[in-house]
Amino acid sequence: MNTRLQTPAPVVQSDSAAVLNLYNSYAAKLLGYIYEVVQNKLVAEQYLEAVFNDIPNELEQFSKNGTSALCLLQIMARKKLVHFFEALENDTDKTTWENLPWTNNPYVAVMTPLQQQVFGGIHYQCKSTEHIAIELNKTEEEIRKTLKECFTIIRNRRDNERVH
Amino acid sequence: MKEYIDSGILEVFVMGIATDEEVKELMYMKAKYPEVNEALKHLEIDMERIAADMALAPPPGTWDRIEDEIDGLIRRETYTQPVKFRTDHGHNGYEKTAPPEQFISIESESNHMRLHKSWRWVFAGVFVLGKIFLGFAIYFYLENRQTQQQLQELKTEIRELKKK
Repeated sequence: MNTRLQTPAPVVQSDSAAVLNLYNSYAAKLLGYIYEVVQNKLVAEQYLEAVFNDIPNELEQFSKNGTSALCLLQIMARKKLVHFFEALENDTDKTTWENLPWTNNPYVAVMTPLQQQVFGGIHYQCKSTEHIAIELNKTEEEIRKTLKECFTIIRNRRDNERVH
Repeated sequence: MKEYIDSGILEVFVMGIATDEEVKELMYMKAKYPEVNEALKHLEIDMERIAADMALAPPPGTWDRIEDEIDGLIRRETYTQPVKFRTDHGHNGYEKTAPPEQFISIESESNHMRLHKSWRWVFAGVFVLGKIFLGFAIYFYLENRQTQQQLQELKTEIRELKKK
């Protein structure tokens, strides 16, 4: 999704208040997400700060098209995290990172291996559906359907918790 | 409509990996069909739920650092950017950039005029010459008046002599 602005508006005092609002509502959730990706508290905090420092330039997006603020923040974080994956230079680093237990997430834990690969690939590894389709030798449509299944699992688990 | 929702496009959008065309189409569908809007809202709630379960409180001082950075942006935007030294040949290492304004304002806002110091001698000369011309004018005026009086007296004398 294109979250870039054509011409960044000048930063004004009220922007700071808007960022504080977002920080109070979403900083903990975003930090939790980033930590799941990088598995290092210090690095996660640095990424969190980098995302919030960028918000004044992207504030228009938060009032546009009614997309959830958390989703927009995660998209911004994923864009920044691309550098994290680029920094994993050698194969040992990559293997170590790919074996990290982001499957600790209770929602991901109940998914099938394929669903975990698809959901983890997009949500934690910031890959595109096209990229994953090539990696898993499947069509993009199949990947999208699998992603949809992942969300169905998340929703069912959520509904079950609500019942209990 | 069910087919559109089941295609996985909504999930791809929420993850921020939809193409620009897909986003446009989704915005149209969302505005036109309430069921798309509702399905999207459910997905966003799902994302919030996952994030809430894994949330981590940021350490104290994080917001202060972000605020400092944003306040710095506000201060930087308040002052105008200094213009870098420009050259027509780019010998100083900077690329030749367009000047901030193409036209220079000719009309000065001040009511005062600044002149070179050498002009004071010109003004002094003009003042002295003016005084000399004034002196001559007064002298010739008085001289002329005296001549007129003498001429009048002579005419009177001639008239008296003729009577005799």
